[in-house]
Amino acid sequence: MTTLTVRPAPPGPPASGSDHRRPRRARPKRHTLTGGSGLGLGVAMIWFSLLVLIPLAAVVVTAAGGGVGTFVDALTNAQTLAALRLTVGAALVVTVLNMVMGTVIAWVLVRDRFWGKRVIDLVIDIPFALPTIVAGLVLLSLYGPGSPIGVQVNNTRWAVFLALAFVTLPFVVRTVQPVLEEIDTDAEDAAAALGADRFTTFRRVVLPALVPAIFSGAALSFARAISEYGAVVLLSGNLPGRTEVVSVRLFSSIEGGNTAAAAALATVMLLIALLAIVVLDLGQRWVARRG
Amino acid sequence: MSIEVRGVSKRFGDFVALDDVNVSLPTGQLTALLGPSGGGKSTLLRIIAGLDSADSGTVTIEGTDATHLPPQRRNVGFVFQHYAVFKHMTVAKNVAFGLEIRKRPKAEIKKRVDELLDLVHLGQFAHRLPSQLSGGQRQRMALARALAVEPSVLLLDEPFGALDAKVRKELREWLRRLHDEVPVTTVFVTHDQEEALEVADEIVVVNQGRIEQVGTPDQLYDEPANDFVMGFLGETTTLEGRMVRPHEIELSPVRTAHELDGVVVRLLRVGFEVRLTVLVDRTGEEVQVVTTRAHARALGLDVGDVVHLSPASVLV
Repeated sequence: MTTLTVRPAPPGPPASGSDHRRPRRARPKRHTLTGGSGLGLGVAMIWFSLLVLIPLAAVVVTAAGGGVGTFVDALTNAQTLAALRLTVGAALVVTVLNMVMGTVIAWVLVRDRFWGKRVIDLVIDIPFALPTIVAGLVLLSLYGPGSPIGVQVNNTRWAVFLALAFVTLPFVVRTVQPVLEEIDTDAEDAAAALGADRFTTFRRVVLPALVPAIFSGAALSFARAISEYGAVVLLSGNLPGRTEVVSVRLFSSIEGGNTAAAAALATVMLLIALLAIVVLDLGQRWVARRG
Repeated sequence: MSIEVRGVSKRFGDFVALDDVNVSLPTGQLTALLGPSGGGKSTLLRIIAGLDSADSGTVTIEGTDATHLPPQRRNVGFVFQHYAVFKHMTVAKNVAFGLEIRKRPKAEIKKRVDELLDLVHLGQFAHRLPSQLSGGQRQRMALARALAVEPSVLLLDEPFGALDAKVRKELREWLRRLHDEVPVTTVFVTHDQEEALEVADEIVVVNQGRIEQVGTPDQLYDEPANDFVMGFLGETTTLEGRMVRPHEIELSPVRTAHELDGVVVRLLRVGFEVRLTVLVDRTGEEVQVVTTRAHARALGLDVGDVVHLSPASVLV
């Protein structure tokens, strides 16, 4: 066994000019838009405003028009509160589940070779591509009354979880997959040669590289879960206080002519969505810092 | 012998990467695996490290049969062409990785990392991320990371292949000095004969999955076992059907015995040397000849001149 002792450094480091590069941080100067990019920014802002900002502002204004009272009423309503709790809770659970399962599925699709892999790769997108009401119908026929596999979950909270898990499945898979494909496997070999077992290598070398993708997939998944209507509405039975989700509650508020309450609830959902995006972004930074 | 490779073969589908390779790599030396791309040298290195497995044959490292050991248990250091850095870890964390896996005490890890970073002259970059380093610095970090676990052998796969020419030359001189300071058994893969000749104690020439010759740089250059080795280490040309080095052909203005007449058809001045293409009258072959600028001037050579050629070895 050759033992290695570190003695004083060998003479002279290789010191060429290019060998001492500063950290790259090219920060563009402010107010230096060229004509073309100015036009591009203008078009983007108009489009974004028309589609997103103005409608959102309109909802907030409608909600605010009723004064603080509308918010208090909307949020202290037991049925609304239950719907909010169920929706956000189920969305959280489903998102965490997706972060794990989505990563596993992406791993299998990228790293393993098996018969029918390309078919599965294609099928993954179906929950996303299906019209949501069709997704609901599919689930109802499988897990509803007269289920061919003997599993009947309609009109229970399981139905909500199941529907949300179904429609949000592709998000994490599809964000993690390309990152995993691009990862240089040399780093994993290097970790193995340094003595790390496969699990440690995954946890300390591969996972940190996937974290941004997992979290952005999670953000998409959560956003989709709190807004889902079509897939849930058929299977859950919409029992007030038990299986009614926010989007269904909102719809019935509008049907009942209570636009102000609907707008208040919509504003709350808007805040929750914003909060989720911020929290997931902070979470990703926190994980990245910890390594 | 530090590493013994016996009867190792490896196929990738129809492609034979290694064909019954036998080689012994001595302890404490710097050995180069030299050969053309796709010749099997990287595969051999990865098999020694356990990153690939051989179809048949055995690998013994420091007297232990390592054929079926996973890379984690072979105690080898491996350095990759494209650095294989852990991107999200600082330079110090990268170097500490192997020691942390071995659960060494924190204080010991810190001390050792500091020593190694000084050794590779990256002390002041300890808290940078690899993306903030140049290629040469990244490769030195990778070297420190591999050395941290006190490997019994250090394996480098085209370690300077991704660097620009200048840094590459500096780093290989530095590697030679580092090896003299830290004499761990080292094997490096290269396709650059100059690199191998300059750095290695011993060179193993690998071609088409076979070992062509093993020897010191001088042995390989002066006594090549076959035309392939001769052709791979340095320039060659053919004179009367024999392979010779262009600078070993004597040019003379006066005709003596053993000589061939020819006409200079091309003349290139490159730095201190002059490269000639001579069309030999008798055989009709075009021979490359290299001579010094001064000699060419003394002979007053120009295109169209008649010259007399003789291989230097015949004169001796």
